Amino acid sequence: MVNPELWFEGVWWSGYALPTATIVMYILAIVIPVLISVAYLTYAERKVIGWMQLRKGPNVVGPFGLLQPFADGLKLFLKETIIPSGANAALFVCAPMLTFILSLIAWAVIPFDEGWVLADINVGILYLFAISSLGVYGIIIAGWASNSKYAFLGALRSAAQMVSYEVSMGFVIVSVLIIVGSLNLSAVVEAQRGLWFVVPMFPMFVIFFVSILAETNRAPFDLPEAEAELVSGYNVEYSAMTFALFFLGEYANMILMSAMATTLFLGGWLPPVDIAPFNLIPGVIWFGLKTALILFGFLWVRATFPRYRYDQLMRLGWKVFLPFSLFWVVATAGVLVAFDWLPD
Amino acid sequence: MIVEALAFYLFAAVAVACGVMVITSKNPVHSVLFLILAFFNAAGLFVIQGAEFLAMILVIVYVGAVAVLFLFVVMMLDVNFAELREGFAKYLPIGAAIGIVLLAELVLIGAGWVFGPDVAGVAASPTPALSEATNTEAIGRILYTKYVYLFQGAGMVLLVAMVGAIVLTLRQRSGVKRQNIAAQVARDAKAEVTVVKVPTGSGV
Amino acid sequence: MTELPNFQPATPEIFLAAASMVLMMVGVFVKPKQAYRTVNTLAILSLLAAAVLVIMVGGSTEAGPQLAMFDLFIMDDFAVFVKILILIGSVAALIMSQGYVQREGMARFEFPILIVFATLGMLMMASANDLMALYIGVELQSLSLYVVASFQRDSLRSTESGLKYFVLGALSSGLLLYGASLVYGFSGATQFDLIVQSIASSEETPLGLIVGIVFIIAALAFKVSAAPFHMWTPDVYEGAPTPVTAFFSVAPKVAAMALLLRVMLDPFGELIIEWRQVIVLVSILSMLLGAFAAIAQTNIKRLMAYSSIGHIGYALMGLAAGGEIGLKGVLVYLAIYVVMNIGVFACILTMKVQDRMVEGIEDLAGLNSHAPITALVLLVLMFSMAGIPPTIGFFGKYYVFAAALDAELYALAIIGAVTSVVSAFYYLRIIKVMYFDEPKEAFDKRQPAGLRGVMVTSGFLSVALAPFLSVIVTPAGIAAASILAP
Repeated sequence: MVNPELWFEGVWWSGYALPTATIVMYILAIVIPVLISVAYLTYAERKVIGWMQLRKGPNVVGPFGLLQPFADGLKLFLKETIIPSGANAALFVCAPMLTFILSLIAWAVIPFDEGWVLADINVGILYLFAISSLGVYGIIIAGWASNSKYAFLGALRSAAQMVSYEVSMGFVIVSVLIIVGSLNLSAVVEAQRGLWFVVPMFPMFVIFFVSILAETNRAPFDLPEAEAELVSGYNVEYSAMTFALFFLGEYANMILMSAMATTLFLGGWLPPVDIAPFNLIPGVIWFGLKTALILFGFLWVRATFPRYRYDQLMRLGWKVFLPFSLFWVVATAGVLVAFDWLPD
Repeated sequence: MIVEALAFYLFAAVAVACGVMVITSKNPVHSVLFLILAFFNAAGLFVIQGAEFLAMILVIVYVGAVAVLFLFVVMMLDVNFAELREGFAKYLPIGAAIGIVLLAELVLIGAGWVFGPDVAGVAASPTPALSEATNTEAIGRILYTKYVYLFQGAGMVLLVAMVGAIVLTLRQRSGVKRQNIAAQVARDAKAEVTVVKVPTGSGV
Repeated sequence: MTELPNFQPATPEIFLAAASMVLMMVGVFVKPKQAYRTVNTLAILSLLAAAVLVIMVGGSTEAGPQLAMFDLFIMDDFAVFVKILILIGSVAALIMSQGYVQREGMARFEFPILIVFATLGMLMMASANDLMALYIGVELQSLSLYVVASFQRDSLRSTESGLKYFVLGALSSGLLLYGASLVYGFSGATQFDLIVQSIASSEETPLGLIVGIVFIIAALAFKVSAAPFHMWTPDVYEGAPTPVTAFFSVAPKVAAMALLLRVMLDPFGELIIEWRQVIVLVSILSMLLGAFAAIAQTNIKRLMAYSSIGHIGYALMGLAAGGEIGLKGVLVYLAIYVVMNIGVFACILTMKVQDRMVEGIEDLAGLNSHAPITALVLLVLMFSMAGIPPTIGFFGKYYVFAAALDAELYALAIIGAVTSVVSAFYYLRIIKVMYFDEPKEAFDKRQPAGLRGVMVTSGFLSVALAPFLSVIVTPAGIAAASILAP
């Protein structure tokens, strides 16, 4: 076996080329599985909803319709990208790219298994939260740049909705991290060895789950694209690849949020019980299974619930979740101090 | 080291360029977007300084929330921007004068730190070394203990801001139908539904 | 575990903060119709309770100043004196406002709550022992004041005044922060006693520090509305609802003045040579502007705005003098100013013809014939404002002039005397209008009891206090001594 470090020995850039190449490898190792998951999430969505509605779902392209997502992708790829004449071309094209990139860069801090994380930074949770709060820009810019009233209305709705639900999401995160005593995501997972946070913090888990539905603009909070009123909301003017990027971004965001919920509440890569048959399975599998479970929740909710009205959506966020999560943060801190359970 | 220096110059240059674009770009929406980009680069500079907590908070608070509302307002505005631009040349001298004064003072401070190295040593709350505490911890320790008075005071200021915003803008409109969930839930089938025996062929 | 800070000296502030939140809850849960009255009454009571707490806490300051909250907060005799003045001003403003607020459709319960918040900010200002604590106090106070200035949100003038105040106030906050950062950069401390040490230990005062002090003076001069930072005053005074103007002209002035005194004499006391000229200049400009610009005014609220600018000029004379005598002079002047100003605004609030407020000076014509008591009170107050013996206004001026002469600031004292004569002209003109002009429409007879009470008390005190002035002078002397004690 040739030591790759020897290839560059004595060359001045040897200290840069190798780390760069390694990082690019790592990034590809994360991004490619994520994109494949996105493809099959769309497939799963159509299948699951189909079964729930006593239909078959896609079953023509490939065995069991397994090649359907690629067929869809190819179709979008081959279509013409139309930029409306009144649109602000630069921003119009930037918006879907922004959405897509944001949904990918957040993966840098997600721990897939013990030590399997691209950047194990100290403020991992904040990084995730920051990236998810930026998601709104893709939509708002798309809505504005399209120069169409439906798109703009969708963008406004979505901006207000995402900002509102971020607040309670922030409190949920705070309540988790005061238990952990660290903002590092690996530390968050390690703290759940023994007891997953979903058990003591079940109400917070529910709030978090509902908030990520709203944050990703999924049913029953899909008002930004409410097809009945706004035709398709912010992406009404988009076609072909620009649309595909939005689509990919949205689904990648769903997976990301599920991964975040897994990390914060379902013990990340940890097996449910630390005994023989379970702890032999690699952590990354557990991580994938848990994420898939939450994603199934997304699909289940979409097949089950009708869309919220906008005032109901706002009331839920500001008048129910915000006070409750605030109360829960105070209660958690109080319990931790009272029983002297504070992490050091 | 070189990478760090390169990153610094990249972030700094882009931040300054964005600052220029904020005030020169023709479209106000573009201005806000450049402002956001400037925030982003400032966050990058914080990261280089080792202040990752501040960097993330800058992104979450300013980019994620404040600038969204900015953008909101600017997109809604209906202002004739050509007209606004007319005053630009007129106010340029005074603006430039103020800018130069501020710059001179910044330089003065910078010079003070450079020429008086002992001054830097007497900071009121020196940052602990990274090996002792991460900067999140360092900020937390000082904010909730030594400066708790200021923290609470700032909280009161925000409360007043909220009360003020509500008191100046909230109008209770009459004649608006409001959903009363409690009333909806409390409805009883016995009271609301009447079963009427309808004789065949006669209608209700 | 870290130890808890010492809270005890800050009890009045903590109480007021908690009370304001309770009041908000009360306001929300009481029936909408009674909300304003209930909250107003409770707000007055909590301000009074805070005054009692100030005296209780302050009673134990004999052993020297008490520091609290990790030395960010200081409670000394000076703070006690100023806080009592502020609380008197706020309570009087709340009592006076009752009738007006209900008539003019401002009867929302947030009004008294915002006044309580502003008062809290002022108390924090009076007790600031740190540049950051100072800033937080100033912001809390100013933000509440911006909102109450535009509280009549359907009135164009009120919203305009609030907006003007906000924009210029934000500018002055910027100056304050800039100055404070310069001071911190050059002294390495934000806490006042550490700044003193830093100044004492360096053989040469850095230029940047002095630039910083000038910025801070400019910002605080804005808050006390001293010329040349007075531009907002006439417009805001005229546009804001009258009870709000009454409040503006009393409590915030006292608080900002107290802050100026403390900052100048405590951390920067050593540098008096450096900043004295700035204060002298500001003082002269304010006196001149207050005297000459007021002559042409026809609106009494605008007139009072210029009058207050002039009064601040006289008060600054005492600060320019520096030392214990000067400081005592300023405090006495402020106390007397509060008493007089509350009375004048109580009189202005009675100026109502058929349920419509009037503000012109000519509307006062012949006031003596249909409202002799109001006319008499206003007569006494105008004499006092002009500084004519035997009213207390004369003694106020006497103390600051004496301080200026003592510090050998002869030019300042002479200009002060001249402007004082000029300003007497417009005060006496009001008296002439009231007593010798043809009567105009009579003012409404029915006035709220609280307003009447405030008006008569203030008029009475303006004369009756003169022989017993030691009630003010002695505590002022103790307060002045406490801030200058090493």
